[in-house]
Amino acid sequence: MTVSLAVPDVLVARAQAGDEEALEALFRAFETPVYNLVRRMLRRPEDAEDVLQETFLEVVRNIKQYRGEGHLWGWIRRIASTKALMRIRRDQVRATESLDDEPGKPGMHIGSNIDLERAFERLSETSRAVVWLHDVEGYTHEEIAEQMGKSVSFSKSQLARAHARLRRMLDQGAQA
Amino acid sequence: MMHCTMEDLGALQAGEASVWARRHITTCAACQAELEGMYQRIAQLKALPALRPPRDRWPAVKSALRAQRSRRRRTWGTWTGSLALAATIAGILLIQPAATGTLNAELSQVKQQSATLEDSLQHYDVDGRVLSGHAAALVAELEDRISILDGTLTQREPSVQDAELVKLWQQRVGLMRELVNARATRARYVGL
Repeated sequence: MTVSLAVPDVLVARAQAGDEEALEALFRAFETPVYNLVRRMLRRPEDAEDVLQETFLEVVRNIKQYRGEGHLWGWIRRIASTKALMRIRRDQVRATESLDDEPGKPGMHIGSNIDLERAFERLSETSRAVVWLHDVEGYTHEEIAEQMGKSVSFSKSQLARAHARLRRMLDQGAQA
Repeated sequence: MMHCTMEDLGALQAGEASVWARRHITTCAACQAELEGMYQRIAQLKALPALRPPRDRWPAVKSALRAQRSRRRRTWGTWTGSLALAATIAGILLIQPAATGTLNAELSQVKQQSATLEDSLQHYDVDGRVLSGHAAALVAELEDRISILDGTLTQREPSVQDAELVKLWQQRVGLMRELVNARATRARYVGL
């Protein structure tokens, strides 16, 4: 999903002054891109909704700190992705590779109609986050590593493993 | 014959591949197909439709924002407030039936704990103070959770004071303690 949202400076200024209507306008402008981003990263829809809410709480609290350097979406996106990654870290035990594609594992049969979106959803949250941030949002491995508190090589290997899994799942789906 | 790994393909996509990988990809049809497959997957991911939130979250954000603003304005932490609160508790206990009195006493006690923690927080809660990334994230998360809880409390306050309300306030006290600890730890660390 490509986001090219332009927000008038005057709207940002009003939001920075605490104008509730302007804050709501910002929320309306960015709620879908934020939800889409965090929903792609997180497995559970309710977690994504929570992160959406937490993101905008931080946005409205800290909007005065936004200096207009860079696109507002970049600033909001950073808050959202950081919060989603924090949630993944917090639920790390649950988010381990348990649902990843592993041959022979019960419940992991891939139907013949599997598409990329379904295959992507079967990845672990960590893998989903790395793939989405790198391949779709255009983050560098250095940026991802910094946000995740991991090494650059971790980010690279997660991405490679995720692509290998996606390819395997899609191949299995095509052959079934 | 040796082929490119998925990491090699990722490096090729990023323009950071080894000399070997860059040479190999020009002659190996299998690896060219793998790389093309990767490009296609990425293009398909980018083309996925936007997922929209199933519910409107703005009312919750607005409610939390208002609660946060009023929390800042309140003077919960002053001793005057606490004494007035204590007098109120005493009054309530004298005139209410036993069960309701116990519930109200619990509620007042937990509110007082919350007020004391708010007061403690003022020693550390200085906007703009530099925190490490981890500490800032922790503090922000706790503040978010408190704000959300305050939003819920604001909506419930006018209703009947029940056990659920006490429970919510107890949750707030728990979060406030974590927040004070986070701030206090940071203050000790920087010698404030």
